[in-house]
Amino acid sequence: MNVLKSLLLEHKIFFILLACVFIGSLIFVHHNYSFYNSPIAEVVKTELVDATNVEDQNNNKDVVSNQLLTAVLKNGQDKGKEIHLTNEFSKSKALDNEFKVGNELFVKIEQADTELTGTIQGVKRDKYLVMIAWVFIFVLLLVGRRQGLLSIISLAVNAVILSFALDLYISNSERSLLLICSVSIVLFTVISLLLVNGFNEKTYAAIIATLLGTFSSLLITYLALLVTGEHGLRYEELQFITRPYKTVFMAGLFIGSLGAVMDVAITMSSSIFGLYEKDNTISVKALIQSGMEIGKDIMGTMTNILFFAYVSGSIPTLILYFKNASPFGYTLSINLSLELARALAGGIGIVLTIPIGLYTTIFFVNRKRARL
Amino acid sequence: MNVLVLLAGILFLLMTWIGGKKGVRSFVALFLNFGVIIVTLFFMNVPDINPVVLTLIACVVISCINLFYINEVNRKTKTAFLATIITTVILVLFISVITYKAMIQGFGEEETEEMGMFSFYIGIDFVKIAVSVIIMSTIGAIVDAAMAIASPMREMHYHHPGISRKELFRFGLSIGRDILGTSTNTLFFAFFGGYLALLIWFKDLSYSIGEIVNSKIFSSEMITIFCAAIGVTAVIPVTSWITAYFLVKTKEETK
Repeated sequence: MNVLKSLLLEHKIFFILLACVFIGSLIFVHHNYSFYNSPIAEVVKTELVDATNVEDQNNNKDVVSNQLLTAVLKNGQDKGKEIHLTNEFSKSKALDNEFKVGNELFVKIEQADTELTGTIQGVKRDKYLVMIAWVFIFVLLLVGRRQGLLSIISLAVNAVILSFALDLYISNSERSLLLICSVSIVLFTVISLLLVNGFNEKTYAAIIATLLGTFSSLLITYLALLVTGEHGLRYEELQFITRPYKTVFMAGLFIGSLGAVMDVAITMSSSIFGLYEKDNTISVKALIQSGMEIGKDIMGTMTNILFFAYVSGSIPTLILYFKNASPFGYTLSINLSLELARALAGGIGIVLTIPIGLYTTIFFVNRKRARL
Repeated sequence: MNVLVLLAGILFLLMTWIGGKKGVRSFVALFLNFGVIIVTLFFMNVPDINPVVLTLIACVVISCINLFYINEVNRKTKTAFLATIITTVILVLFISVITYKAMIQGFGEEETEEMGMFSFYIGIDFVKIAVSVIIMSTIGAIVDAAMAIASPMREMHYHHPGISRKELFRFGLSIGRDILGTSTNTLFFAFFGGYLALLIWFKDLSYSIGEIVNSKIFSSEMITIFCAAIGVTAVIPVTSWITAYFLVKTKEETK
């Protein structure tokens, strides 16, 4: 009874805290204008000036419109004053936006004689980001309860480690990114699995299997790249590159498949331990047989998770290329080669982890048996 | 030799070695899924077709491949299929609102530097394309989670035929909670691996936190991650409920 009471109190405190942080953060993102150095303006009136039908050299039809915006400045020394902006937008909105009353924009003020005018620099998106983050947190807590909370904590901790690792890499460029990533991968694995599954043999087996699986798939992919001379990989499409692109690609590839490999490792170890706990006398042969069956069941869907997560992001670029009459094969190879390489390497990691996870867990089961 | 061919070859060998016939089917399914994406892309180029509707149709086909082709048509896969479709439809509504509000469609300024020669006035609604991208990124994970819950629920019902609908639903939820952490982890690392170059770029060019958070690229990546996680979480109660409903209902009918 005492345990129940204290638990309830803990829950109460937790929910009150959560509600406070929730309301506080919402108030903050709606009133944080003074924290920004660049001027922010809220649109109060829009007026459509004209709309022109356009057609490009590939016969793509679109409508380009101009709108006049009146907005009120929310920060800086001109706070409260009206500013007039012009905005050009297309029906397809690939690069532009149609603005409505209530939208908040970053602007650059260009002083005119009598009234303020300016140009639009960007959209203020922080409040949407915060809102969807809260939806994410509430859905996870509602469905997952305790495990949901642990998942959120593990994601947050991993994000901090990742950010810290990248800072370390950027401040000491002579250090190898792959080395930093290897250390981070060990940390990610240990922290995520311990947090979500607790301190037990299941988790230890999964940690070892994850590390073995990840590093052996790293080796295979590295050898494959070496043997083929990286023929077929189009690094020019790797965007946002300020660093040696091959290491960045390889590091991304391994962090990318890590989650899936962990998933496979913990599925293997907890189901095999589950079988052992149900029947202590179960033979190793039976364990291997069941483990392989479980592995077969999960490998198809797991490889597909990575495949869709990687390939889907290229859809807008692919459409842009096709609509600009780029040849089919060229468009696919230039835009998808890296994504497909990631998906395939991740798939190799997933499939390799099935036997690795199986035998690592059996090793732990045998050790436990010997102790009995 | 092409890297992709070699990697695909290695993957094929491993899948066949470990998975046997089912491994071969899993490998073929990857190619079928790739085919579905390419066909969907073709139709997306037609301005009059709504890309979101197209994506939903593609999701139905993809779920069929991943559930009915890799496994087989049975009650387990049928309930997983139904749960996937329902979750996807709910998710589409949610994603549409957030994409429209946050204006994350199309390309960020940082991306367009190398695309100067392209015409961007191509008559395709990029807001809808953005919704399609988020859904497509998540569909693999949703199918996986639906299957991972429906399968043990079926086993439970098989071993304990007297179980009530409510108990079975609870059992599904508890299974779902166990896989929640690893499913969200899988997505989280997959996306962060893909965005590693972007993160280094932001840090290298010393963007301020305000600039990063409000930039189109970063916010669209974050929204994709959150929506994906919401999707794999939402599929848990949906699958548990549908599976419990159908399994216990059919039992009552046969009585």
